[in-house]
Amino acid sequence: MRIGIDVGGTHTDAVILDGDRILATTKALTSADVVTGITHALDTLLADGGLKASEIKTVMIGTTQFTNAIVQRRDLSPTGVIRIGLPSGKGMPPMIDWPNDMASAINASVYMIHGGYLYDGFPVADLRDDEIDRVIADLKKKDIRNIAIASAFSPMNDEPERLVAAKILAAIPTARVTRSAQFGRLGLMERENAAIMNATLLPFAGKVVDAFLGALKNRKLNCPAYISQNDGTLMNSDFVRNFPALTFSSGPTNSLRGAYKLTGLEDAIVVDIGGTTSDIGVLQNGFPRESNVVVNIGGVRTNFRMPDILALGLGGGSLVSEDGKNVGPQSVGHKLVTDGLVFGGDKLTATDIIVAAGKADIGDKSRVAYLPESLVSSARETMRTMLDNSIDMMKPGGKDMPVILVGGGSVLVTDGLAAASELHRPEHADVANAVGAAIAQVGAESERMVSYRTTAREDALAQITQAATERATEAGAHPATIRAVDIEETAVPYMDEGATRVRVKVIGELAL
Amino acid sequence: MISPLAEIDAEHLDNLALGSVFLATGGGGDPYVPKLITAEALKKFGPVKLLPPEDVDDEAFIVPVGSVGAPTVSLELLPSVEDAAKTLDAFEKYIGRKIDAVASFEIGGGNSLIPICAAAAKGIPVIDGDGMGRALPEAQMMSYPIGGVKPTPALAYDYAGNQATFETDTTETYERHIRAFSMAAGGMITAAEHAMTGRQLKDTVIPGTVSFSVRLGALLREQRGQADTLLKPLQALFETSIYGDCKLLYTGKVMDKTTRIIGGYDIGEATIQDFDGTATPLSINIKNEYLLARQGDEICASVPDLITIVDFETGTPINAERLRFGQRVAVFATGCPDFYRSERALKFVEPRCFGFDIDYVPLERL
Repeated sequence: MRIGIDVGGTHTDAVILDGDRILATTKALTSADVVTGITHALDTLLADGGLKASEIKTVMIGTTQFTNAIVQRRDLSPTGVIRIGLPSGKGMPPMIDWPNDMASAINASVYMIHGGYLYDGFPVADLRDDEIDRVIADLKKKDIRNIAIASAFSPMNDEPERLVAAKILAAIPTARVTRSAQFGRLGLMERENAAIMNATLLPFAGKVVDAFLGALKNRKLNCPAYISQNDGTLMNSDFVRNFPALTFSSGPTNSLRGAYKLTGLEDAIVVDIGGTTSDIGVLQNGFPRESNVVVNIGGVRTNFRMPDILALGLGGGSLVSEDGKNVGPQSVGHKLVTDGLVFGGDKLTATDIIVAAGKADIGDKSRVAYLPESLVSSARETMRTMLDNSIDMMKPGGKDMPVILVGGGSVLVTDGLAAASELHRPEHADVANAVGAAIAQVGAESERMVSYRTTAREDALAQITQAATERATEAGAHPATIRAVDIEETAVPYMDEGATRVRVKVIGELAL
Repeated sequence: MISPLAEIDAEHLDNLALGSVFLATGGGGDPYVPKLITAEALKKFGPVKLLPPEDVDDEAFIVPVGSVGAPTVSLELLPSVEDAAKTLDAFEKYIGRKIDAVASFEIGGGNSLIPICAAAAKGIPVIDGDGMGRALPEAQMMSYPIGGVKPTPALAYDYAGNQATFETDTTETYERHIRAFSMAAGGMITAAEHAMTGRQLKDTVIPGTVSFSVRLGALLREQRGQADTLLKPLQALFETSIYGDCKLLYTGKVMDKTTRIIGGYDIGEATIQDFDGTATPLSINIKNEYLLARQGDEICASVPDLITIVDFETGTPINAERLRFGQRVAVFATGCPDFYRSERALKFVEPRCFGFDIDYVPLERL
């Protein structure tokens, strides 16, 4: 038996799965210390399921804690950022295109030093000991412990990043270093951004993982615990202490995967309606469709693999205009339970409209009895049109597709949706994220630029697949179950004949 | 016609970059980094005057400047803000003459921005126009050499400030030499070449393309959404420009994309199947750029007309190096400027120059 937990900004949801069967579910409020919320959820869950902690073989956790920290610019630690690449990129320092509030939130000290490699393995410049010593002296003086290092073409040759990291660790043993090569893909600025956001989250990641493990220990759950990452695969919890940035998009991914698990539909549109937004995504073969374009996290450009999500400003807490012609994007958010009319507040929200229409029994319906029928029907029409239009935009080629509704705000959809060939409201849809976390697999990828003239193609593919396999094993996969699911080869224009960028993605079952 | 801009400011750069990817027809490289360095230059030196070709003095000395190399390299080997201006400084020193204005090799991709970055630092104007009206893979395909401008004296400048100068007879030879230097210098260099007089510029430039690309980018941003809703506004814009017709050729899913490097170019083919799976698939031949679109034996569009692939959901143009299996896309075709339909230009850019044994038929007659 396994437990899936989703620790969101507002709610902590949890489920127990026995194979494919859902034994129990629960929804609790996320506590400020995180621990209490998870502990409460576990108590309810184990009691409802009539289970002992020893019967649980593994726990999977999905969380938006780290994304929220970046988006809300909180819990970020002062960070040292070292770019190895001079004399190239002068006047183009790290974080040059970051939003100002984000850049100041991490209070970065930025250093540019000589070094790095060209595409053909020739050095851009040699590392200079005096430069590195000056950087270390400054880091010591400012007492900076979280450090991101990025060097040109490090996915091909990460030696400069390793050498500088080793020198820093020798001089500052308590330092925590994130190397950009650990984030794989080519694209120096995006890879560097990932490393910086990861480095600035490291102390918070330690606290959050401690809270997760503490809550499990409180309830004598001594089984292995895993945390889900962007692409719906798992990392072991200690890995997350070092790579919190890999969780950034796990929320939408888990909701899509959970919707798949709850319905068995491999190809469908999933609409996850929360308090403020409706996140619309697409399932293809049971996995989230990935975004084609570069993804911004909190205004910072990254190259993470992310699901393609359309966020529509419509949720249970969305404010409704007096004529009902405008709904959202402003929302009372999690204050719905105090500010919404049916809860005794004075804000007209989308939830109030649905209660007034007699389509849901939430709060005190007498408080919305005075709303004119014309307003109620107009607002319902507005919401339906918003959803229909957005779903149409996400449909592959406008083809009719089933729509799966999940999330607490799915009560907003009262009748059918014109854009849906069929509408599914699976049982346990309110905890789809936790279900998605519980069924995650372990995956990893590796990417290199290779020359097929100097390395035979099959040798190159074998080496890169091996590197990805090692990463998957490190992340908790059972080596025997690991298989390559995606091999991407991109020839590099104008270069040496045979120069090719190769990316291999592998996934495997969790080693239990 | 759209009204030309008088100057380029930081606020124009997002639109210029987006429009330039549409006009790059799959090639030209991602303009994101060139956009950043140009923004830094404009922040430091202020806006750049945009000079309509007809306002250029016949005796003025005009020098095209831009990057030569592999787009993928620019993802890692970042340019320095001063590279483009230093290239011009070195070129002035080499030939002993001051430059009056800079021009662009190609409006497609990052080379739409490099001249602006250089002009800002040098405090000189940039020409509202370029040498291709799109992107094309080789130097001799530019309108400047086709119109008789000599490629050299030319100067190339690498990331470390190393320089090479060139004196060659023909642009074809120059193309081979500078490509070799670029590969030796890390895969990306900045070059000043095809220097010319104001008179020669007026005779050879594809005019107004900088202003047009800014307008096109603004349209793509404002109309962001499903590609088929983009067609009408795009047609309205292209109709009144030097490009003419714009057609939506096909919508569907990328079923296959194979490219390999032959002779230093990225050569291959992409196949797109309509969403219902009922129509004949569209195949697109690639040599860095999208060159030829066919359904079975039927030609839908060919070089020098423009073929652009966009993300179906957002209308965002997709470069060939980023096109991959499973993407949902729309394919647009747009007429090329009249210059490229002349006999002397077709000799350098007709389908046969790229190894396709077919005659060029203008888009509106297909």
